[in-house]
Amino acid sequence: MYQYTEVDQKLVEERVAQYRDQTRRYLAGELPEEEFRVLRLMNGLYIQRQAPMLRVAIPYGLLSATQMRKLAHIARTYDKGYGHFTTRTNIQYNWPTLESVPDILAELAEVQMHAIQTSGNCIRNTTTDPYAGVIASELEDPRPWCEIIRQWSTLHPEFAYLPRKFKIAVTGGPEDRAASQVHDIGLHLVRNAQGETGFEVLVGGGLGRTPVIGKQIRPFLPGRDLLSYLEAILRVYNLNGRRDNKYKARIKILVNAMGIDPFREQVEAEWAQIRDSDLRLSPQEIEAVKARFAPPAYEAGAVDHDLSAQLAENEAFRVWYEHNTVAHKVPGYRIVVVSLKPHLKPPGDITDLQMEAVADLAERYSFGEIRATHHQNLVLADVKQGDLLPVWKSLHAANLARPNIGTLTDMIVCPGFDFCGLANAHTLNIAEQINEKFEQVDYLHDLGNIRLNISGCINACAHHHVGHIGILGVDKKGEDWYQFTLGGSSEADAALGQALGKAIASDQVANTIEKILLTYIAQRESEEESFLDLVRRVGVDPFKEAVYGADH
Amino acid sequence: MALIIDRKPVTEDRWQWPAQAQPLPAAGPVVLPLARWLEQADALIGRESGVLVNGDDDLEQILALKERVRLVAIEFPTFADGRGFSIARLLRRAGFSGEIRAIGDVTRDRLAFLERCGFNALQVPDERYRPEILAAFDEISVRYQGDANQPRPAYPQS
Repeated sequence: MYQYTEVDQKLVEERVAQYRDQTRRYLAGELPEEEFRVLRLMNGLYIQRQAPMLRVAIPYGLLSATQMRKLAHIARTYDKGYGHFTTRTNIQYNWPTLESVPDILAELAEVQMHAIQTSGNCIRNTTTDPYAGVIASELEDPRPWCEIIRQWSTLHPEFAYLPRKFKIAVTGGPEDRAASQVHDIGLHLVRNAQGETGFEVLVGGGLGRTPVIGKQIRPFLPGRDLLSYLEAILRVYNLNGRRDNKYKARIKILVNAMGIDPFREQVEAEWAQIRDSDLRLSPQEIEAVKARFAPPAYEAGAVDHDLSAQLAENEAFRVWYEHNTVAHKVPGYRIVVVSLKPHLKPPGDITDLQMEAVADLAERYSFGEIRATHHQNLVLADVKQGDLLPVWKSLHAANLARPNIGTLTDMIVCPGFDFCGLANAHTLNIAEQINEKFEQVDYLHDLGNIRLNISGCINACAHHHVGHIGILGVDKKGEDWYQFTLGGSSEADAALGQALGKAIASDQVANTIEKILLTYIAQRESEEESFLDLVRRVGVDPFKEAVYGADH
Repeated sequence: MALIIDRKPVTEDRWQWPAQAQPLPAAGPVVLPLARWLEQADALIGRESGVLVNGDDDLEQILALKERVRLVAIEFPTFADGRGFSIARLLRRAGFSGEIRAIGDVTRDRLAFLERCGFNALQVPDERYRPEILAAFDEISVRYQGDANQPRPAYPQS
């Protein structure tokens, strides 16, 4: 994976010193509250309901075993022994003190990590496919491009005070595991008629109060022009995005207000001015970054193994293999998904000991690398098939092998009212209620692929609009209620879910899901028809009837 | 107001800033808000003048003055209004070589970014000025991106 150069290392060290001084000035009363607020947010520090929350960046979700051990150390030393992985593939700590954050950042800098731009109205962590580089359907590994974007966007002097936050996702092939169509900018690696690789560029997607699927602004952008085109979009947005109302300040609102065609004209006019500037990437520059993501030394001998026999004699291992591992492009290897959705634990949470267990496994079995996923799980991308049994045993011992990837209990859930200062409703108790109700693995597997996303407020951190089943917590006179949407997707067939009907009481959420799922089982044409397929075929009416009765 | 030009504190501001109700000074360099500057364009012919703009002003009108003025003051109504950064970049790109001054809510933690976007003059409110804020320019020496002063980004420089 990418290793810091001296330049990269110097930047994070200087940033630690800068933030340490900002914290000192704030505590000394030299820096007004509102100014420090913006500065600490640009360093990932929120003040939450219980305590400050620190969000640490994991660029494009990739981290080393050494980095994971450092995250465990930070959890143990500065927090209560755990962390929470987010949909932007970052990790959050819920209990650090404001005063300790400079020390945490210094510890992170020792292992080439930081918290730069993990919040604030600036360009956030660029996300991508957790199977980048190891999935057969991929056109090209998207991570070198993510790294190029990381460097360009880090401490960009012009785009640190945008109208609102700005998120970019990159996909390397036709499958979309990065929710790219609901990003401010979505970049899809594609090939044009001449056989050249470049990007389809989408702009103006997003969730929150106004969910929008991104619109195509350019069908093909040569890779060398990536930065000039991004800069042109950001400049048009920085100058024209609304600043009078933070709920209307995202680029999606600007694109909708102007219309995609006039917006495109402005971007292309600006691009024409800078396309031939130093922003153009030379072939040497691109190759130099690609070389940092060279494939690991796969072993030809990995194809010799007795996996079939192991699967035949161990039912639990077989079930895990079927649900929590994915085909690898190299013969003899398999992608392993580490489930951070154990029974009755907050989705995405991981303890210090679990982090160390994953680091050990990565080092021993997967070239020392780990990926974080948009679905709040982890991935060991390069496990030899012959090693799967010991990997499963270790994961099982660490409570990281629940065979639920892609099923109902592999939910995306934000921390909700228990931790978040923005939340209107609790989410963790709802996740628990669902876990209790749907404990039986066989039943979940029979339901097939179901994406359940639960957000505790309209800001939609858990992407409820694009869940096959989406749940939004709302506050009604001091009580938590839950609105359902059905039929959303964040993948290549991205769509926003349709509202089911009036909000559901908090003790009826799991029962409501059950009614929805029973309707699915009753109405599907065969097991081949997925939940999402059925909702698309029949609409929400049969589900409404099942949930609210005939007089809905 | 404390004024920093080219990273050095300056005690005298050579420019006059008449309030809206005040008449145009008879002589000397003068800065007017964009609308008033355009109204008085004829009277300003042959005289050293500057223009005061903000993010609400029309960008084309601002850029069109690049040959007529020697100072463009860009107002930051709040430090979080980042439009001024882009206005300065576009002015420098258009070839404007005069003074670009940041005024309004201009304080330490944005000085380095302002300079990188093409501002060479920074007008800091007195109550926020301390001599040590000049250290802000060197807090981060690494520049991944090209900017108004150094067009080459960091990685091909190394």
